[in-house]
Amino acid sequence: MSHAMLSSPVLAQLNSGVIVVDDEYNIHYLNTFIERHGNLQLAEVAGKSLFSVFADLPEAWLKRKLMSVLDLKTPAFSSWEQRQYIFKLPHLRPITSSSQYMAQNCTMLPLDTGVHEQPLICILIEDATDAFVYQQHLSRTLIELEKANRQDGLTKVQNRRYWEEQLKQEIHRAQRYQHSLSLILFDLDKFKDLNDKYGHLGGDFVLVELSSFIGSLLRDSDLLGRYGGEEFGIILPDTGLEGAEEVAERICRAVADYPMLFNQQTIRATLSIGVAEFEPKQHFLHDDLIRCADMALYNAKRSGRNRVCCYQAGETDYHKKAN
Amino acid sequence: MNKLGFSEEQRDCLQEIINVAMGLASDKLARFLNTFVHLQVPSIALVGAMHIPEEFENRYQDAEAALVSQGFFGDEGVRGEAIVLYQMENAHKISALLGYEPGDVSEIEMLTDISSILTTTFLNGLASQIENSLSYSAPRILSSRHGNVADVLKNTSFHWEHALKVDISYQLIDHSFNCDMILLIPGEAVTNIKHILDRILEAY
Repeated sequence: MSHAMLSSPVLAQLNSGVIVVDDEYNIHYLNTFIERHGNLQLAEVAGKSLFSVFADLPEAWLKRKLMSVLDLKTPAFSSWEQRQYIFKLPHLRPITSSSQYMAQNCTMLPLDTGVHEQPLICILIEDATDAFVYQQHLSRTLIELEKANRQDGLTKVQNRRYWEEQLKQEIHRAQRYQHSLSLILFDLDKFKDLNDKYGHLGGDFVLVELSSFIGSLLRDSDLLGRYGGEEFGIILPDTGLEGAEEVAERICRAVADYPMLFNQQTIRATLSIGVAEFEPKQHFLHDDLIRCADMALYNAKRSGRNRVCCYQAGETDYHKKAN
Repeated sequence: MNKLGFSEEQRDCLQEIINVAMGLASDKLARFLNTFVHLQVPSIALVGAMHIPEEFENRYQDAEAALVSQGFFGDEGVRGEAIVLYQMENAHKISALLGYEPGDVSEIEMLTDISSILTTTFLNGLASQIENSLSYSAPRILSSRHGNVADVLKNTSFHWEHALKVDISYQLIDHSFNCDMILLIPGEAVTNIKHILDRILEAY
């Protein structure tokens, strides 16, 4: 058997598409792969324009590519990463892949047959659906990982690291655009007693329950994070002290009136809340703002818990005594 | 020089072939892109793989750079990798150059397109002179904008000690666009190229 006789059956078995067109984009050849996937017969489409046979082609773009192949006698490439597919063809994993069309790597080559006078271009189409699917899995996994990296494992609100990053950014924004910005810090009252009475599972239950309840009371732009143990923070962009105090009062009352059912027992919890507004002239670091809100929170504790205290400008130390 | 070193005749012969290939490429490019292409005489050097990241780092220290790689291989053991480097401040000029409408294609596609054109026009010219023909891999972005060029190269393991480095600087006059192309031909392929050069020298 001569080599030339072998190449035809091999072309028919090839799991890649081969299309040959001339310099007027008329089809001269396509292999079995394209016939089967495109539901075409070479005999029917030979001599017809590539763009009439495959009506969905990005015509201007593809012509520019093919032109460069003819003019420069060099190959041109297209990757599924930039253009998922050029030819709308079904792929070989109709059941196990989510994508509808075959992701493709295409190579367009100047074809020198030695006999044809008219310049020919060979278009090779490789099925990259598997790579495409893996890439999608990877992207999804990365998004999930990123989410997990931002979340507090127990309460699913933002974890401290991410929340503090957000605070830094919001401070930056407030400075740049001269927007107001407030911060709420709150702490569960007598959390140790809750733990002692209902066990650590009960304590955890309260943290989870309250995080989700308080989250539901906030605007989309407010950022709730777990600062540590039973202490949480809320960043309130575009909000002055008065507005933040209102939010804090609403949370304080709502939590006090929110019974939680754990193992057939009703648990009630209260919060102490500190509120502070960002002052561009005083708060140079996000820590400064946290310290002010923390002072107010401490004052709320000292003055009897289950209440809101606002940081007063000029306050430099914690109240020494509860009232 | 070590055992990979070229004799003076071999070196001159290679330089001549590369100069001619560049002439062919710039002529083609100028006509295709409709602009004057200015090319400097390419420099040829034998480099140690370990010095390459350092060199790139020095060259692109202050600029955001993109790096596109394209492998090539031909008959008689000729193979290597062409790396085209752009300063990213140049990237937006490429779309106008290639005749793309703004927003038509992604920045990555533009970079791989222009790289492929620069690389393959030059290498085809080179191959035809040594009666070879080359196949190419698809161009791939090794780094862009956010990536640091030297870091990328450090993480790319070089499986050879020495490589033939051909440095070409393209300058497209009308568009004040420029980029560098570096051909890296790894150790074994250098020996193969030497055999080819010897054959050409004998024929004269």
